Amino acid sequence: MNRRIKKVAVLGSGVMGSGIACHFANIGAEVLLIDIVPRELTAAEAAKGLTLNDKVVRNRIVNNALTAALKSKPSPIYLKSFASRITTGNFDDDLEKIKDYDWVIEVVIERLDIKQAVLTNVDKYRKNGSLITTNTSGISIEAMIEGRSEDFQKHFCGTHFFNPPRYLQLFEIIPSSKTDAQVLEFLTDFASRFLGKTAVLAKDTPAFIANRIGTFSIMELFNNVNKFDLTISEIDKLTGPVIGRAKSATFRTADVVGLDTLVHVANNIKETTNDEANASFSIPKYLQKMLDNNWLGSKTKQGFFKKVVVDGKKKFLTLDFNTLEYKEDPKPKFSVFEKTKGINDLAKRMPIFMADKGKAGAFYRASFYSLFQFVSNRIPEITEDIYKVDDALNAGFGWKLGPFQTWDAVGVEATVKAMEENGYKANQWVYDMLEAGIKSFYKIEKGLKYYYDLDTKDYKLIPGQEGRLSLELLRPTNVIWENTGVSIFDLGDGVLNVEFHTKMNTIGQDVLVGLNKAIDMAEADYKALVISNEGDHFSAGANVGMIYMLAIEQEWEDLNMAVQWFQKTTMRMRYSSIPVIAAPHGMALGGGCEICMHSDKVIAHAETYMGLVEFGVGLIPGGGGTKEFALRLGDGLQNGDIRTNAFLNRYLSIGQAKVSTSAYEAFDLGYLRKGQDEVIVSRVDQLAYAKQTALQMVDKGYIQPAPRNDIKVIGNEAMGLVYVGADGFAEGHYMSEHDKLIAEKLGWVMAGGEISSPLTKVSEQYLLDLERKAFMELCMQRKTLERIQSLITTGKILRN
Amino acid sequence: MNAYIVGGYRSAIGKAPKGTLRFTRPDDVAAAVIRHLMNDFPQIDKSKIDDVVVGNAFPEAESGFNMGRMLSLMSMDTVDVPGSTINRFCSSGIESIAIASSKISAGIADVIIAGGAESMSMINMGGWRLVPNPEIAKNNPKWYLSMGLTSEMVAREYKQKREDLDAFSAKSVAKAIHAIDSGYFKDQIVPITIKENYYEDGKMKYREKIFDVDEGPRRGTTPETLSKLRPAFAVDGLSTAGNSSQMSDGAGFVLVVSEKALKQYNLTPIARLVDYQVAGVEPYKMGVGPIAAIPKVLKHAGMTLNDIDLIELNEAFATQSLAVINTLGLNTDIVNVNGGAIALGHPLGATGAKLTVQILNELRRRNKKYGMVTMCIGSGQGAAGIYELL
Repeated sequence: MNRRIKKVAVLGSGVMGSGIACHFANIGAEVLLIDIVPRELTAAEAAKGLTLNDKVVRNRIVNNALTAALKSKPSPIYLKSFASRITTGNFDDDLEKIKDYDWVIEVVIERLDIKQAVLTNVDKYRKNGSLITTNTSGISIEAMIEGRSEDFQKHFCGTHFFNPPRYLQLFEIIPSSKTDAQVLEFLTDFASRFLGKTAVLAKDTPAFIANRIGTFSIMELFNNVNKFDLTISEIDKLTGPVIGRAKSATFRTADVVGLDTLVHVANNIKETTNDEANASFSIPKYLQKMLDNNWLGSKTKQGFFKKVVVDGKKKFLTLDFNTLEYKEDPKPKFSVFEKTKGINDLAKRMPIFMADKGKAGAFYRASFYSLFQFVSNRIPEITEDIYKVDDALNAGFGWKLGPFQTWDAVGVEATVKAMEENGYKANQWVYDMLEAGIKSFYKIEKGLKYYYDLDTKDYKLIPGQEGRLSLELLRPTNVIWENTGVSIFDLGDGVLNVEFHTKMNTIGQDVLVGLNKAIDMAEADYKALVISNEGDHFSAGANVGMIYMLAIEQEWEDLNMAVQWFQKTTMRMRYSSIPVIAAPHGMALGGGCEICMHSDKVIAHAETYMGLVEFGVGLIPGGGGTKEFALRLGDGLQNGDIRTNAFLNRYLSIGQAKVSTSAYEAFDLGYLRKGQDEVIVSRVDQLAYAKQTALQMVDKGYIQPAPRNDIKVIGNEAMGLVYVGADGFAEGHYMSEHDKLIAEKLGWVMAGGEISSPLTKVSEQYLLDLERKAFMELCMQRKTLERIQSLITTGKILRN
Repeated sequence: MNAYIVGGYRSAIGKAPKGTLRFTRPDDVAAAVIRHLMNDFPQIDKSKIDDVVVGNAFPEAESGFNMGRMLSLMSMDTVDVPGSTINRFCSSGIESIAIASSKISAGIADVIIAGGAESMSMINMGGWRLVPNPEIAKNNPKWYLSMGLTSEMVAREYKQKREDLDAFSAKSVAKAIHAIDSGYFKDQIVPITIKENYYEDGKMKYREKIFDVDEGPRRGTTPETLSKLRPAFAVDGLSTAGNSSQMSDGAGFVLVVSEKALKQYNLTPIARLVDYQVAGVEPYKMGVGPIAAIPKVLKHAGMTLNDIDLIELNEAFATQSLAVINTLGLNTDIVNVNGGAIALGHPLGATGAKLTVQILNELRRRNKKYGMVTMCIGSGQGAAGIYELL
């Protein structure tokens, strides 16, 4: 029988429990969130005459926890209204209800005896066949099945969400010796397709995979930090985005996580393991001192960093490991970065870092050699399959390259030798692999990825690739056209994909050329086109540098042509003979949003942050976005609607540069179309689904639509509101005089100009011409150019 | 020919948009007040009543369809009594009394029910379909300036300080609470029966309650608690939710009769509207309206401020209240003795009638003679009326 998850019970409403409950609500499940009954009344409850028998009191703990979670930022929930899918309860009154639930997730405090007590009760009430999982980062799964029924044991395992559950990709699944294989198979599939996670099957070993290795990496550094003669700022520079890791790098991350938490995990590993790296999990003296001083990081206002305000300016001081005093570090500088400048491919940068003769190189070699030694020694202890280690670090710690991927990038064979020379040693299986003539841990063949399997001493296909598409894996073989801005991929079955690969995937001349080329090619020889990429973000918008250059030179005719070209390109998305699907993820701003808005259909990843944010650079959307808002406004109007209110709702999305915090919110803001555009939670399935959707549109019979000439605009009826509103916002100092001008121009375009008769039908081209006229007029404003210049030179939005 | 007020009541004032009257229609509240008022005068043949005049600032939706006529139908048990709705924004509730008094003085009517009703819970400020004239909006946008911003304009022009506004407001709340606790309003308030169907646990349920106490004043309000509120209308503004009038729901009506009716029905006159004047000021600082209206009405009536025993100055904002008080040198001992709109609420078109009912009761309680009701009016006007207690 097919297993389906409709109702999920989450036991324990702490930060993790509430976050998990919200994420299940995100995907549409009916969630029951439970916590303990408080032992005493609060003063406020007593004053109201409530007793411990009142429901509001009994559910106080869980309700407060959920409320706090829903208020936290970034939000754990895609859309506030999704929270209504969560009902709350308490262990005493509501645990019985789990008999109707398909999956029970236990997320109570990390103490074996308490977890066992809860699971005993779960065993009593649950229905046979339902899933039970425990969310733990360190407690043995095997220890939790003792005394449980057979059916319980079969359907029980560990599921380790990372905090915050909505945003962190990793989902470790840890079976006990009794867990049914089908359960694991189900959870692996469910985690990726439904929850959008990277599922990693881990063994029941201390801290499982990600925390074991991630914590090693940090603690090894903490214990050796004195050897490098580097400041905290320097180390964070070396261990941040330059090597494909988070901006908060090492020490800033430690401060955010909290040193107490970090030390708790390290101690746990140190106590429960007994391998060659045990000493690396010791707590160095300075760190113990920091704990004694309660310098735990952000939550105690100081840790490795301390924020101070000097002359009204915020500054971050860093700790000196020897004196334990805070000081100001000079800006980190390393000559090696000169050599890697302009190399965007991380795998190509890594060998240059490792070969560096300076302090940076010495640091990298020591760090990575010890890491390579450690991870090679942990196979097969924590997992037999090396790709799981990389998956875990990619998804759980945000390392763009995991340990084995990094090792491949710097060359396995050469590194093994260099490690020996420096007093490190890779595990024997690595030598065996090299001896067998296999020189890398991974290989890509025909769009599929293989890993080195210790057992067979040969490459083996990484499972889970069936039915999925990855541009990274198709790149070696399927790129059929490219320029500096885009690559056009053949996805097979007559579908093309155009990928942006500029900085932040901004849209400039090369991208526009590429988009037109892709449509030309698809119209001539293919069936459909998908627009997607695998960068951090879909697109940060149009390349304003080009606009700035033309405006500064006062090349108005050229600028007008360029804007028109942009408009024509977005219009071609919709008005071409083939279906065009946009599949955005991450930020889809400005021009990136306009491209999505003009495609025949959007398949948006749930984590898509859409917005028309041109206001910030002193402009209005000029690639058809403002026109499209007018069009959607008109299409949405029903007989008898209060048109000015409908106008205002749409107007404010652009006027306040609203960016959605999820793809679902993008519907409410007007960037996505209800009933037409779709959301997908699984990033790894997004491209294949977009392709499939495109083919369905082809199969259904796709006819090139004709540009519209029946767009209802409300004209002058809206203009009074625009002027009065803009004046009020300026008078209230919510915006500047320049903002007021932009607001008026935006309103003018969206209203369709000063037309006397509301609901006059106009053409798309008419609106595009208004849009371009307003855009050009704003480009001629000095203050707009100052805003653009600020964005280009400082990356900051100037409000002038 | 003189016109006499022989009776008057008001509803308790509910908070908008989340207060007790939020689901009770303004016509229902107004009709209840009128019925209660007329119960005091069984001797009057209802079919002989000349008119029901209701002031309302946004006569649309629940207040629409000529609410005055609806009220005459709802509360008179006959189709014979006509009804009209008049609008001068915040002075509508006294404007209607002025119209009634004038008609009677002119000898063209003998008995008129006049007052005001407003539901700010149901109809938002500006109305549901605000469509400014684009030409005006472009060239004179400040004619449409929102009320909150006009308050900031007054604050800027009079160089006011936040602490003065908060101190004034806290005092207003304290006076209002004292008045409520002392029962000063009790006799003037018509208890309204709130009847509500609501949804709970998958069912429609019914509840009923009596509403008869003003719910605006927030106990525990001090200058300190007010100082913590953030500006409501401008980034760097001085006006907050705490030192501005509250949005409110409510109604108030008086019965105005001629000398002939007094005799015919054997009625006892309570008071008369001595004079009533409205003046225009710059719309962007409409709050100063009373600065023009008060001298105008005094001059026209041949009186001075010294003749006035009590003043109800509608506290649209602490900013404009202080500007008016300081500019005209009003005696603060006689201004808003039972608290003002910052504490008790400002149901726009009902306010003039509500303040009339309040001041007549307070003049009587204090055994005084002359009272003034004055207010600023959106889009730049001020109104002031003088009552004489008889």
